[in-house]
Amino acid sequence: MATPNVQTKPWLESRLPLSTFWRNHVSGYPAERDQPYLATLPGLILGALIFLAVSGAVLSLFYVAAEGSAFHSIQFIARSVNFGWLIQSFHSTGTTMLFAAVYLLLFRGILGSQYKGSGDLVWFLELTLFILLLLVGWLGFVLADGATGYWSLHNAAMAGARLGGLPGAIAEWIFGGPAGPGTLARMVVFHVVLALLLLVVASTLIIARRTTAPPVQRKPVALHPYYTAQYFTAFVIFALIFAILVFFAPHLGENHLNLAAANPLMVPAVLTPPWYLLPLAAIGSIVPTTLGGVIAVIAGLAVLYALPWLDRSRPGASTGLLYRFLVFILGLDVIALAIASAAPPSFITGILIKLFIVWYFLHFLVLTPLTSSTPVGATPVGATPAGGTESK
Amino acid sequence: MAGSGTEAMGHVDHVEAYEAPRRDFLKILTLATGAVASGAIAWPFIDALNPTREAEATAKPIINVGGIAENTAIRVEWLGQPIYIRKLTAKQIADNQFVVPDSLPDPASYGDRVKPGFETFVVVVGLNTGIACELEGNNPSDTRGPFDGWLCPCDGSVYDPLGRVRSGPAPKNLAIPRFTFLNDTQIQLG
Repeated sequence: MATPNVQTKPWLESRLPLSTFWRNHVSGYPAERDQPYLATLPGLILGALIFLAVSGAVLSLFYVAAEGSAFHSIQFIARSVNFGWLIQSFHSTGTTMLFAAVYLLLFRGILGSQYKGSGDLVWFLELTLFILLLLVGWLGFVLADGATGYWSLHNAAMAGARLGGLPGAIAEWIFGGPAGPGTLARMVVFHVVLALLLLVVASTLIIARRTTAPPVQRKPVALHPYYTAQYFTAFVIFALIFAILVFFAPHLGENHLNLAAANPLMVPAVLTPPWYLLPLAAIGSIVPTTLGGVIAVIAGLAVLYALPWLDRSRPGASTGLLYRFLVFILGLDVIALAIASAAPPSFITGILIKLFIVWYFLHFLVLTPLTSSTPVGATPVGATPAGGTESK
Repeated sequence: MAGSGTEAMGHVDHVEAYEAPRRDFLKILTLATGAVASGAIAWPFIDALNPTREAEATAKPIINVGGIAENTAIRVEWLGQPIYIRKLTAKQIADNQFVVPDSLPDPASYGDRVKPGFETFVVVVGLNTGIACELEGNNPSDTRGPFDGWLCPCDGSVYDPLGRVRSGPAPKNLAIPRFTFLNDTQIQLG
């Protein structure tokens, strides 16, 4: 009774210790108390990715990856396939929810300086997830073969063909030269392969968050049922917002011109990507040359990777009030950049876009090192969260 | 939420005994609702792989056989294969009705080849069972072979009007597709 040996264990348990796993990692796992609901975001992101993989698998049965046919195959899905309208909406709105969750995850990461100390690995994984997601999102937008998606692919492939040397060779390997009959089939393969890679990165991110988390300070609570209940509630709220968007705003943040079939002889007046690509697309298009645009995009992402070094405060030190205020300004700046670049081009929006991009780089390269090195406003904020949780 | 659970640890036995039925009920309620919700989410994905209404409508075509003249056959294409629908003459029925099945290369009686109540119609796949080759003999003017049925132009196999092989390299009788008579003049394939 006291010492369980191999004979007394059931057949499956002795070979695959599932109940031991459940006890060690779920029902008996010591978790930190009073974790916020937004700490469930990585789990929700993984769930959304799996959901998108399933709906994408169903869509792929009917999708025809050929220029001219792709748009009509999507019309066929929406009109003729049983529940095709719903599954297509699941896939496009699921992408919106996924990007919203990832943007929120990154915002929380910057706001709480979670990239400091041992949190840097998690931060790099989150950024890798974001970059892969941007690529997969763009590929999905292009696969729809609408008026703006078609021209986005055309311009990207043309720009790639104009690049010389190694970048040109890479672009040619990806697009197969200027956009031609086989280009969409290539895009499907990259869309699927990178999406599978996303699942791997998201899973690794969740594991890395657990292994690099600081040791539990106070008396811990069991992961199950305390945090499974929290996960369940977070999932229900996430699913509720998702359902509202699916049924009442299925084309949220999408250029409506993309709902029309592409015409190879007519460029739409406004060539904006979906909302989740807008900020980075604006940064990429501020430099007139192709290579300059690519470098601008890389720079825009590189400042995020460089945050653990740009933030000069000690690991474990609480973030200052000024720093938090500036992070909120940065969030508004990115939203404003997206809105300005989605608007029809004019003199005013051109100036505003440049201003918002300058502020974006200013925040990371100048303001973050400055505010994190000065102790102004650091002390009062540090005392508040601890005091607040004790009173509960 | 997390705090209230651990505060009750001192009276854990009492609380468990008192709340057990209620907790069981909540557990069953949650699981049942969860199962219904999972099923509702899964159903669109499952149903999407079912045939579309258009595909279902074209998969089971209804064919008008009222206009077929005696001693001729019409040809319709279904699932990529030629389907021959032939109306027999009284002489063709009389010639083939009492042939002993065991004397044929692929034994089959008259009743095996036609539907009861609609014995004048023969519905077959018009492909030779040896070399896959479309048969001749739908029109009375076509060459039909010695049994007034069908003849294969490729290997010379001979079929009678019921679609039974009589001679030639072909080993088997003509295949009969799935079909039903809706009434005297309409049949539905599939």
